[in-house]
Amino acid sequence: MTFINRQIEILIVKKLAVLVTTSPYSNLSVTALDYIETALKSNIELVGVFFYQDGVMHASKNIQIASDEFQAIQHWQRLHHTYNLPLHLCITAAEKRGISDEHNDSIHAIFTVSGLGELVELTTKADRMVQL
Amino acid sequence: MSDHALKTLAILNSKAPYSDSAGKDSVDIALVFGSFEQPVSLFFQGDGVWQLVQGQDGSAIAVKDYLKTFSAFEFYDIEDIYVCQNSLEQRNLPATFHIEAVQVLNQRDFAERLTSHHTIFRF
Repeated sequence: MTFINRQIEILIVKKLAVLVTTSPYSNLSVTALDYIETALKSNIELVGVFFYQDGVMHASKNIQIASDEFQAIQHWQRLHHTYNLPLHLCITAAEKRGISDEHNDSIHAIFTVSGLGELVELTTKADRMVQL
Repeated sequence: MSDHALKTLAILNSKAPYSDSAGKDSVDIALVFGSFEQPVSLFFQGDGVWQLVQGQDGSAIAVKDYLKTFSAFEFYDIEDIYVCQNSLEQRNLPATFHIEAVQVLNQRDFAERLTSHHTIFRF
């Protein structure tokens, strides 16, 4: 087997962005929250989190998860208030799932209503963009 | 990497076109990045290769035919489109697609090309 020598670039991540595409009732949300919190505690700047696909469900006021299960929203609220973490919501994906700021006021206040242009912005600003 | 280094985006598509909305969600991202003049490459692997198969008609199952949008890629300067040869062979699919400029790559070249991008999204 031939190995290809490739120059490995060590990338020091100073600015991180995260794309969340998993729902609040998925275990993968725990990974996303842990990852983000660890980055914040390591003084990595979180330029923002973008919620897309089923990830937009995190913003819904109407989601009721059994009280003995993981409450992702409480952690988003804590991270948002402690670190001023920007949370952007793809409104097209949200409205498709019954989550709206105009029709039924069902978006938690910590979320900013955005569009895919914001995802471009975050990807451009960050040294690394990670999807979870 | 400097702050001004060009941030290339790869979108890896691994789901069949009409099983869920992943394919459409993926195209929407590709076109938005394209319209902001950000370099985007598209990769099709696993059941994602079905998105390139000719002659599909979503209307038969009442699904909007988002595959038509693929023909707009060139207007958004999305010209780097790669498909995994192994995934085609596993499904006994020919290397003929409903859009042009698709490059068939073996697994190793596919992986190498994919990982040469700054950011990877998968749908």
